[in-house]
Amino acid sequence: MADRRLLKSWRDLWLHRARSLLVVLAVALGLAAAGTVLNAWALVERATDEGYRSSLPVSATLVLDRADAAALALARAEPGIAAARLRRSVGASVLAGGRSRHAVVVALDDFARTDIARLQTVSGDWPPESGGLWMERSSLDFSGATVGEAIALRLAGTEGTQAVPLKGIVRDVSLAPGWMENVVYLYGSEAALAALGAPAGFNELQVRLKDTRASRARVREAGTALQARLARAGYTVRALDVPEPGQHIHAAQMDSLLMTQGAFGLMALAACGFIVVNLVSAMLAGQVREIAVMKVLGGSPRQIGAMVLAQAGALGLLASVLALPLAWWLGRLYGGLKADMLNFTLDGVATPAWALVLQAGVGLALPLAAAAAPVRAALRRPVGEALRDIGLTRDGQALGLRRGALAARMVPWLGGWARPVLLAVGNALRRRQRMVLTVLALASGGAVYLGAANLRSAVQGSVDEIFGAQQFQLQLRVAAPAPAGQLEALAAKVPGVAQARAWRSLRTRLGPEPLTLLGVPEDGLLGPRLIEGRWVDGSGTPQLVVTRLLQRQQPALTVGSVHHIAGRDWTVVGLIDGGPQALGYTSRAALDALAGNDLANSLVLRLERPTSTVALLDAVRQLREALADAGMPVASSQSQAESRRVVEDHLLMVVDFLGAMGLVMIAVGAMGLASTMGLAVLERRREIGVLRAIGASDSAILAMIQAEGLTLVALGWLVSLPLSLPISAALEVAFGRIMFSVPWRLVPSPGAALGWLALMALISLLACALPARRALRIPAAQALAYA
Amino acid sequence: MQAQAPLIRLRGVGKTYPAAGGDFQALSALDLDIHAGEFVAVVGPSGSGKSTLLNLLAGIDRAGSGELSVAGRDLRALPERELSRWRGTAVGVVFQFFQLLPTLTALENVMLPMDFGNRWPAAERPERAQALLARLGVGDQAHKFPSALSGGQQQRVALARALANAPRLVLADEPTGNLDSANAEAILTLLAALASEQGVTVVMVTHEAAALGQVQRSLRLRDGRLVEDRRHG
Repeated sequence: MADRRLLKSWRDLWLHRARSLLVVLAVALGLAAAGTVLNAWALVERATDEGYRSSLPVSATLVLDRADAAALALARAEPGIAAARLRRSVGASVLAGGRSRHAVVVALDDFARTDIARLQTVSGDWPPESGGLWMERSSLDFSGATVGEAIALRLAGTEGTQAVPLKGIVRDVSLAPGWMENVVYLYGSEAALAALGAPAGFNELQVRLKDTRASRARVREAGTALQARLARAGYTVRALDVPEPGQHIHAAQMDSLLMTQGAFGLMALAACGFIVVNLVSAMLAGQVREIAVMKVLGGSPRQIGAMVLAQAGALGLLASVLALPLAWWLGRLYGGLKADMLNFTLDGVATPAWALVLQAGVGLALPLAAAAAPVRAALRRPVGEALRDIGLTRDGQALGLRRGALAARMVPWLGGWARPVLLAVGNALRRRQRMVLTVLALASGGAVYLGAANLRSAVQGSVDEIFGAQQFQLQLRVAAPAPAGQLEALAAKVPGVAQARAWRSLRTRLGPEPLTLLGVPEDGLLGPRLIEGRWVDGSGTPQLVVTRLLQRQQPALTVGSVHHIAGRDWTVVGLIDGGPQALGYTSRAALDALAGNDLANSLVLRLERPTSTVALLDAVRQLREALADAGMPVASSQSQAESRRVVEDHLLMVVDFLGAMGLVMIAVGAMGLASTMGLAVLERRREIGVLRAIGASDSAILAMIQAEGLTLVALGWLVSLPLSLPISAALEVAFGRIMFSVPWRLVPSPGAALGWLALMALISLLACALPARRALRIPAAQALAYA
Repeated sequence: MQAQAPLIRLRGVGKTYPAAGGDFQALSALDLDIHAGEFVAVVGPSGSGKSTLLNLLAGIDRAGSGELSVAGRDLRALPERELSRWRGTAVGVVFQFFQLLPTLTALENVMLPMDFGNRWPAAERPERAQALLARLGVGDQAHKFPSALSGGQQQRVALARALANAPRLVLADEPTGNLDSANAEAILTLLAALASEQGVTVVMVTHEAAALGQVQRSLRLRDGRLVEDRRHG
């Protein structure tokens, strides 16, 4: 026969199974939310870390005028270099599935090599030796292409589109997903590219260092040394590109996103903890006399405490049994989505055991921790006092007296309905600990919801500002730089074009870091709002206006600072938002002066009918023809509407991921409210019986209970408003780490605030209805006899 | 019997409770000796300190002043966790409202103090509990929950529970207060038999006039003081 103590513990849980179930659900919900994010983070960390390292990523890329076998041999002869390869990448556009997409076509000297930046075959015969192209897997759906069918490809600088068979799919983990970057990545042999019209040979030398732990500075040193050797051997090195070693280009962003979600997962867990404290406290309140009796029977505080904690532990175990598999499954689902965003797969990657053990531990510990203080308080209560307990708290009595006096003063003023409502409001405030914890659970959910709404609004505002500053609808890149004046003149003649301006760009360096400068003419169809300083003037002197993201990457670029760039001293004169762009703007005249020519490489165009899609497509077609006829073929074109859509989708996806936890928090808050009201009604069945005995109708009692729930909602709403300020700031800081800084929106919009209030009011009405109806079904005599 | 040291000894015991209208002196300067095997009734009007006295003897409340020794232990000096242990083996308590644990059967309620006290081997506990219930006339109700038992049956189970660890002292607070006269008579008879046949000291708070016919001694309290100490029969 089982020990009676265990029997009692188990049967007590069963007797109050509704309450027990609520504890289990509360713990399970918080654990599942936090566990999902933890599992996803652990999986993505493992997949990206292992996957990226095992791909033997490139340490540095040198862009040369020509890269040949001799350059390759030079690189391989360097003692610190483990492997090297030659590459050429060419811009293009792909027409597939009825849509034109920007593309990059890559040729390697030896696709069979597996000692640097490995490509994984997904389908098709590999390596590519003959004609045809292979597509990177993340570009397939985005491109609309089908393996085995031809795609229409036009290389930059060539005329006409060519039909090229798509022979297979590869995975290149060094790239961000094509759909995310809005680029179709293609691979083909040198011969295939040459057949398509690309320049012969290679122009990039990629190396991998032996020292896999080398810092970025160390890699740059090695790259610079190689650059010098190549220069002595007669090669011209145009650029040295060194990515962050051992890290996928979006890994830091993904880490920030998952860490932020993890923080909110912990918040959800804490809010669930509030609910569990309430429920366990109620459980113990109902056992005050039984605990006292057990003490009289000889039970020591330790023995009795163990019984109660065993109950809490059992509930935690049950919650863990529910939550862990769910969190495992959701974690794989969500982690798979995240890994896919980094162009990795979770195939063969297992959820680390430590993550599962941690969650199991938390699941067990949470109800134990929630029960610890109430259990200690219950056990410390003198036996005599506990045996005399008749269920009214001292707090309640004092409050009742004050509440009664307040009601007496207000009733003549408000009317006869006031006393029951005031009674309901007072009931909501009666048990202070429970009220505070419930309000906190509600408020934290509301604060995250409002914070996410603020973030969305801030991001939307930033996008509006960025694209509002662009007074053009179309942007073209020419295959080769061409005289700006000619470009503008030709473009302006095309019907439908109201204004055309040529821009030029320069890729250079500020110290060791890459820097892109964009030169725009006066009235360059760009009018961003200045955060600090002024816009560049048309004098042609070296002036810069930097974007906020560039300033974050290179903090020395403050307004008023002077920097030596490309052989000249440049003054930073202004700062703009710029969104996701890390750019420096200058006058086209300044770049012309630097280069000694007026060659531009892009055109921005304002159309006569800016909102017409037909006019836009027509303009694109005519512009391409006109510029090609003039020997200035177009490499790519993009409408600002398309650019905006891509940027918005990308950004709002991050916002939505961050905001998803708000929904979990709201669910937790709703559960807290439901459990509190369920307990409140249960504990006051006798009081309800008294009210009915003195003439209160069912509808009056129902209204009082609903008013009590709405009081808690109102309090939660009031607390959530100021609480949403730091939450909004935290979300916006997190977004800034993941993407780029946005102007802070801290004050919730009235629409969002009222929307949340309405949602919680509805939940309150539903949450209170069931316990209220149950209480009303009990005959008054039975309710009064209930002890 | 009188020559032996008393099982219960009070000297100058007082107890005060804080109340909204000022401190309430429940007991005042109480001197009392009760010897082993006595069946004692404590009587008096409401508020005279009867239940307070019982609570002090059980260690449920602590005396505010004076000396209090029960079954060889100075209760004022005993720390809380030792008090529980002492209570489990030295004292059995019977409450007016039975206070049976609703989620345990009658048999399990009787075995629970044995689990706390660990005095008997686990294998013996069911048999001991069953025997106690049978002795008190409710052996056939062993596997029922308290909600399925009558008031009289519940109080017999409560008495069996009080005897679970073979205590030397049984304290009963209005044990017949919630029973009809027939059951009340039966409980009083059982308590008397405990004292006379098994040498258990029984101290009982009661309002029942009929109880005085069963007890050997009655103590009358008024306003927290012992005003009468009478021997019967």
